[in-house]
Amino acid sequence: MTLNHLQKEFDKMMNRDYFSDTVHPMRKEAFAQFLDLGFPTKKWEDWRFTNLSPITKQDFSLSEIQDAPQDDLDISAYEIEDTHTIVIFNGHLQNSISSLENGVSLMSGLEYLTHKNDGFTQAKNTPFDLLNTAFMDSGIALVIEKNMAIKKALRILFITSSTKNLMISPRVHIDLGNASSLSIIEHHVGDSESAFQNESVFVSIGENAKLDHVRIQSNANTVSNMANIHVQQEDDSHYSFFQFANGSQLGRLNLRAELKGEGAYCRLDGLALSTNNQHLDHHIIIDHQVANCISHQNFRSVLQDKSSGVFSGRTIVRKNAQQTDSHQSNKNLLLSKNAFVHSIPQLEIDADDVKCAHSSTTGALDEESLFYLRSRGLDILSAKNLLVQGFVSEMIESVKHEATQKMIQSHLQNWLNSNA
Amino acid sequence: MLKIKNLHASIDGKSILKGINLNIKPGEMHAIMGLNGSGKSTLANIISGREGYAITKGDVIYQNESLLEKSPETRALDGVFMSFQYPVVIPGVNMTYFLKAALNAHRKHRDEEELDAIGFLKLIREKIKAVDIDEKYLKRAVNDGFSGGEKKRNEILQMITLEPKLSILDETDSGLDIDALKIVANGVNQYRSSENSFLVITHYQRLLNYLKPDFIHVLIDGKIVKSGDMSLASILEEKGYAWLEK
Ligand SMILES: Nc1ncnc2c1ncn2[C@@H]1O[C@H](COP(=O)(O)OP(=O)(O)O)[C@@H](O)[C@H]1O
Ligand SMILES: [Mg+2]
Repeated sequence: MTLNHLQKEFDKMMNRDYFSDTVHPMRKEAFAQFLDLGFPTKKWEDWRFTNLSPITKQDFSLSEIQDAPQDDLDISAYEIEDTHTIVIFNGHLQNSISSLENGVSLMSGLEYLTHKNDGFTQAKNTPFDLLNTAFMDSGIALVIEKNMAIKKALRILFITSSTKNLMISPRVHIDLGNASSLSIIEHHVGDSESAFQNESVFVSIGENAKLDHVRIQSNANTVSNMANIHVQQEDDSHYSFFQFANGSQLGRLNLRAELKGEGAYCRLDGLALSTNNQHLDHHIIIDHQVANCISHQNFRSVLQDKSSGVFSGRTIVRKNAQQTDSHQSNKNLLLSKNAFVHSIPQLEIDADDVKCAHSSTTGALDEESLFYLRSRGLDILSAKNLLVQGFVSEMIESVKHEATQKMIQSHLQNWLNSNA
Repeated sequence: MLKIKNLHASIDGKSILKGINLNIKPGEMHAIMGLNGSGKSTLANIISGREGYAITKGDVIYQNESLLEKSPETRALDGVFMSFQYPVVIPGVNMTYFLKAALNAHRKHRDEEELDAIGFLKLIREKIKAVDIDEKYLKRAVNDGFSGGEKKRNEILQMITLEPKLSILDETDSGLDIDALKIVANGVNQYRSSENSFLVITHYQRLLNYLKPDFIHVLIDGKIVKSGDMSLASILEEKGYAWLEK
């Protein structure tokens, strides 16, 4: 996508009369900064192994009002039982088919801005953060008041379905007041043949609050998917994140968690299944800013064909973050000789009294195990599939929401069967 | 049942088996004894279909057909079973799931109806009694957190569940205390019949005293240098192997 083309799309958006001009200055500033930087290139340290050409070699256009569904959508194909659902279709919030539990307030980006007294958290970690701020469309905020425990899981269903090359920039703020709790599921689906989704999520977890965050990236294998997730945790807060990715041509998770309050617990897990020439990344930064926090990272990838991926996990332990307990594990299973993974663990530790462990392994299926299973009568395909299941089972079983876990299991089965 | 004819095999160009001949009839139990490195596991592995060996001469005939070109799973379904010297730990793969899948593969092959979860549980609860394995082990990953003896009992559990015709026991007695040894020996003895054949690999007379094999063969440096009956085991126990080497 040329910067020229982006500029045209930007001007188009600024002239939309149904957009509030309150955020225009913010958009303009972010877009100017983006133009200064441009898209990352392979010369950038954190972007060496991510080929962005699916995004840069194609022009994408803004999703317009007419790209919203004309009638009520049928979302039964994407059913997950036992959830409330907010539907966003091609970047447009579908209020009429969305439902919410009492205690969750769903605000527009604008309402949230007022709620926060114009003090929106912004991020400039990568050009994609800036691009999201410049182009954010479906700005929504989920605000949970303090002491509210939201029982039913809340799903945000992102459907991308269009014959046009759409660029969609969802923006989600999740704001948990002290001692509140929420379980949220981002569910990315759709049959768009070509689309670029650049999503930013801002999570803020108050003292003693608890957020369970599952992200399912199951859109079509032709879509490009940037997820920019920013997490801030206060004292004794809990955050657990799990991403399951089997969709997207190019999928990159950029997650940065800042542990700002003592006693915070942060657990980040991810599982990517890739085939053909998919490229699925996990880029994680955990920033221990204060003492006595715990963080766990557990990321796995299973790769077929010529697919590839990156795990980059940076654990930062600042000088006063004593008694930090941090653990990182990355395991990659290569099912084809042509698949490859870059595993880049990085520890930046400035405190002296800390426990930091990390491990990384990449390899093919274990021949001994394969022979063992086959010697018991399992055909080679069943034996291989069983070993892959064994490799990922611990990850999938950690998903607490039962219907979601089931759905991921069936995605896994389909993935295994389609590789047969 | 099994005929091994002048079998020569090598690994990475190094000759390991140097002309093995062996004939096991239905219902017979043969034991192979020999020092470490003499090629016992190599022989067991070749019969069960592990890759990585070059067969330079000879053949392995099972039920009148050569085994050598067949996949490990085909051999297994046709009734060949090996109790591994070193059973593999497979993280994440549940014991019950694995064993049920293996049994159902066998049942399907025999044109029997596959068992559902309840049917399998009923069957396996009987089987585990015979090898004194607690049901909780079935909830674990394959061999995960099993002691050495438990792994070997698990091998015998798989044998009596899958009901092979030819069972190869590769040092199933190694590392077992006397109680575990008795359990393993009992499991094997209960499974003996006029149709089921066994090839028992061991260093020690101990297990053989319980099993009382029909024939004993001594393997030295890739060749069977002596064959006999149970009395040979006692002589080996007493005199060692040195007198048999040239
Ligand atoms: N994978 C292998 N690669 C190279 N040499 C091997 C391999 N496996 C076994 N050997 C060699 O083959 C010989 C026989 O080994 P093995 O059959 O395991 O003996 P045993 O079971 O009688 O102790 C030994 O010299 C051993 O070092
Ligand atoms: Mg051996």
